Amino acid sequence: MKSIWKNYKIESAYDELMYSEFQSRPVSHSLCQYLNSLRKEDIDKRKIAAELAIMEMGITFTVYSDEGNIDRAWPFDIIPRIIDAREWRIIEIGLKQRLTALNCFINDVYSEQAFLKEGKMPAEIINSSKNFRKECIGMKPRYNVWANICGTDLVRDKDGIMYVLEDNLRVPSGVSYMLENRVITKRVFPELFQGIDIQPIDDYPTHLHDMLSSIAPHQNGQVTCVVLTPGIYNSAYFEHAYLAQQMGAQLVEGKDLVVNDDDFVYMRTIEGLEKVDVIYRRIDDDFLDPEVFRKDSTLGVPGLMRAWKAGNVALANAPGAGVADDKVVYAYVPEMIRYYLNEEPILPNVPTYLCSNKDDLAYVLEHLAELVVKPANESGGYGMLVGPHATAKEIENFRQIIQKDPRNYIAQPTLAISTAPTLCKDRLEPRHIDLRPFILQGENTFVTAGGLTRVALRKGSLVVNSSQGGGSKDTWIINMEGS
Amino acid sequence: MLSRSAERLYWLARYLERTENIARLVSVHMNLLLDLPKGVEMGWRQLILINASKEEFYEKNNVANERNITRFLLADASYPGSLFSSLSAARENIRTSRELLPDEAWEQVNEMYLFAKNNLETVADRRHRVIFLNEILKGCQRFTGLLSGYMSHNHPYRFILLGRNIERADMTSRILDLASLLLSESRSDEMRQYETILWMNVLKALNALLMYRQQMRSRVKGDDVLNFLLLDTSLPRSVGCCIAEMSNCIGRLPNSDKLPLKLVELQTYVQAIDTRQTTQQQLRGILDGLQNKLGELHGQIADNWFLSAAGE
Repeated sequence: MKSIWKNYKIESAYDELMYSEFQSRPVSHSLCQYLNSLRKEDIDKRKIAAELAIMEMGITFTVYSDEGNIDRAWPFDIIPRIIDAREWRIIEIGLKQRLTALNCFINDVYSEQAFLKEGKMPAEIINSSKNFRKECIGMKPRYNVWANICGTDLVRDKDGIMYVLEDNLRVPSGVSYMLENRVITKRVFPELFQGIDIQPIDDYPTHLHDMLSSIAPHQNGQVTCVVLTPGIYNSAYFEHAYLAQQMGAQLVEGKDLVVNDDDFVYMRTIEGLEKVDVIYRRIDDDFLDPEVFRKDSTLGVPGLMRAWKAGNVALANAPGAGVADDKVVYAYVPEMIRYYLNEEPILPNVPTYLCSNKDDLAYVLEHLAELVVKPANESGGYGMLVGPHATAKEIENFRQIIQKDPRNYIAQPTLAISTAPTLCKDRLEPRHIDLRPFILQGENTFVTAGGLTRVALRKGSLVVNSSQGGGSKDTWIINMEGS
Repeated sequence: MLSRSAERLYWLARYLERTENIARLVSVHMNLLLDLPKGVEMGWRQLILINASKEEFYEKNNVANERNITRFLLADASYPGSLFSSLSAARENIRTSRELLPDEAWEQVNEMYLFAKNNLETVADRRHRVIFLNEILKGCQRFTGLLSGYMSHNHPYRFILLGRNIERADMTSRILDLASLLLSESRSDEMRQYETILWMNVLKALNALLMYRQQMRSRVKGDDVLNFLLLDTSLPRSVGCCIAEMSNCIGRLPNSDKLPLKLVELQTYVQAIDTRQTTQQQLRGILDGLQNKLGELHGQIADNWFLSAAGE
């Protein structure tokens, strides 16, 4: 019998499940034992079953192309990624700590600006930030929380330490795929859930709903929450519909909402206008309200900012929260934790060079071939340079771009981000992965048990974004005590 | 409930009902042709006549044969009235209203769509076509069943019923139209012989043969069949029953003031049809009138509840 582990070569990166081709880590003993009990044909059958389930459940994401928008089936690897619950407990505390500090910071930026005044961060960074919204100055969202939903990207370097790569505070996506991945894994490997103590994740929509209700402007009587989507052509439309359905909330588009003279938000229903208390908006700030932001936006709701500032509707995330979702601001998060919480950061940042800083810039230009350079404000893995994988021409090109607009670029050492066994054609091979847990903050703070593990399906690739050849895996937090 | 959602659910139901009806129509027509002797003048052409799609068909095809017509009616994605187009439209509508329906509803429609998409080529030959149509009919039934079992009978459900019944009434009238067309065209004695078989197939197309037998306790006669399918108030696919269902839904929906009147008018129109006194030719005119009235009713439903008609 040919082993699916044959030639499983762990290179310089840390492998989440294996020490070597022949030895599994303690967290993955049971999984590996089980996989070894299956024949290759059986594993292939499960893979096909998973693909079929994805098609039938219609789990898709939209890819924009010249031929129009295509709905692609969600690429999924059936081999789960596993984390020991003892390690996860610490990560969870670290994530809560981080989001708490970030929210203190955002709140401060839109009021006292003490952090800037005390010289903890150059004011220039905020003043030049695209995501700093002057319109938000003086606002006090409930519990002083601006970023209610956060997706934090974590990666493990070869030293085995989990680093925070970025904090997504605008409209982070992916949580529906996390939930659906589990549904599929339960269908495909039901036997595994008997023997292993895997923490459940499907309470996320309940927590989301509770959090949204907790931030409603009026706490008397029933709260009406809606999910505001840009519409069916958005790449995350599947997720918007999924979350609305799971929460039993209305999924609305901009044209379904109207702000009346009384500065309240209403939706157009078959019974006439009905008041809306909380909007989980999945539209970027820029498009939210054509009266205030982009005038040409047809996705938003005219007057929405008026209603929000009057305290008549809650928006999650609050407009302006994106000011902390900036890779330059990111570099200051450890300092925020010390400043606002008087604690030491539990989760480390990746060392970051700010090109706006002269010394850093000189270093970056010198070492472009070794570094990863990212624009401060993009998401989705666009517009970045991975030095070790780039051609000389690409590097020169980037040198020009950075020098033109240094404020907008940061650089980090190229991490050897960890790998996990991934089912390739006829055997398992290591592929690079990251992890995006989701954190909710309102009256309370909640962290998902695990998160969405994204995997770079192309051999050697470090880019995990689904728009660029990435896939995903189910993520298990397992309790090892007693086993 | 959002006006936009009401509209989408209504159309979802219409498109799915249309999908089912086309499947039923083609499958019954196939059966009918198998029963008739060679040389009888009826053929496949009538199927495109009742769908008012003659021009569009001949733009794309030269010959009105079985192969071309079934492909056109079942598989042509560029013809908006085809089974596949209807099913695709249903899927698009349910995809955008998932938050109102049980999970299984979306999965059912999506599965059916994937099945259709992967098997479009097979409709060319009869044996595979039978399998294809059966799968579609079963899928539609499963959808209806799971909604009635899993979904609260609330406003969203009522919009689904509304869409289903208006489409159903329309299709029943078109099938009766087809029967009259066949009868008025085929004056030959040979065809007359087969009249009973024709009417039995009309009943089968609406799944009403058994119910007809139980209710009428007589042999299958044209007048009785017409009466039964237009006026009976307990057969789900009779026009009278569809109107009663819609009336029931509309009465429970908010802001429906103007609509009951429209329904009474429609009901009166149907009840006044005297099948014993009309010629086939007159009957065709009456059924046309019925289809127009259903169109007007649709317009009023849209004006009353939907976003597109509400205007900005």
